[in-house]
Amino acid sequence: MMNFDKFEKLLNVHGADSRSWPSELRRSCTELLDSSRQVRALLASHQLLEKRLNQLPVPELASLEATVMHQPLPARSLSPMDRLLDWLAPTEGFTLRLWRPTIAACLPLVFGIVLGNYYSFGVMVEPSELEFWEDELAMLSLDDYSENNF
Amino acid sequence: MTDEELMRAVCNGDQSAYQAIVRQHLKSISHYAYRMLGNKKDTEDICQETFLKLWVNAAKWQPEKAKLSTWLHTIARNLCVDYLRRHARTLTLANLESETEAKLQHQVDLVERDTAHDQSTQLEQAILALPENQRSALMLCHFSGFSNKEAAAIMNVSVKALESAIARAKRTLRKTLSKI
Repeated sequence: MMNFDKFEKLLNVHGADSRSWPSELRRSCTELLDSSRQVRALLASHQLLEKRLNQLPVPELASLEATVMHQPLPARSLSPMDRLLDWLAPTEGFTLRLWRPTIAACLPLVFGIVLGNYYSFGVMVEPSELEFWEDELAMLSLDDYSENNF
Repeated sequence: MTDEELMRAVCNGDQSAYQAIVRQHLKSISHYAYRMLGNKKDTEDICQETFLKLWVNAAKWQPEKAKLSTWLHTIARNLCVDYLRRHARTLTLANLESETEAKLQHQVDLVERDTAHDQSTQLEQAILALPENQRSALMLCHFSGFSNKEAAAIMNVSVKALESAIARAKRTLRKTLSKI
């Protein structure tokens, strides 16, 4: 139920323009306004205040924009770490145009390495075969090649 | 360009991006500072300082936390509060020279305006006489067009505290208007 205090709070929060009041409260506000002269006077004083506030003169600060725009600004100095990060992961510029396709091209390669590392895809490599190769290499080194006729 | 793109460019030292932000936000910041301080000279100083801080601290802005306009108004508000505190301390130290100068500047500003706007002048004086938090709350919500939530974030207070400050400010100003 809308009353004087609630209506005053509504005016302070939402302003005196009824279009900005919450739609669910608009009807009860209208009913309250119709029934009470005190409430109408309160609304009128809020409307007057808002009107006067809107009429307050705006200062002429013509040269301010140029002053702020051209004020001396301290030079930016990036730390070596920032420069390295910029180089590795550029956020703009020509390198960004090359960087993204490069990353895109590398992704399948990385994906393949990761996948190959975890899955054998049916290709079985016996550990004993590796040992055999070591023996074979040792025998080759001891082989006598002097009998060979070239 | 969006605010985020402009700020990224500012982070990389792009002065034209800085100028674009100045063009976009200076009016709102200068109006807020003027309403808070009441004279042109200090308004200009606060505006310069605000945008200098934007340039220096651009990397600290977090777009997911606050809009650029909210962040800039927070900087401007903090600078205004500092200024008002410094100014109050200066007065207690009886350094009347600068106070006289500021008053004189304010008088010049007032005389420059049309004297027919007497009501406006009295209302402006009543606004300047409001406590800082009430003035700031009213300026941010009424003139700068921020929502209560955004204004509360700028002032670093709860929405309830902000609404209470606005209510008190409006009550005082309505009393002033009824006397004019």
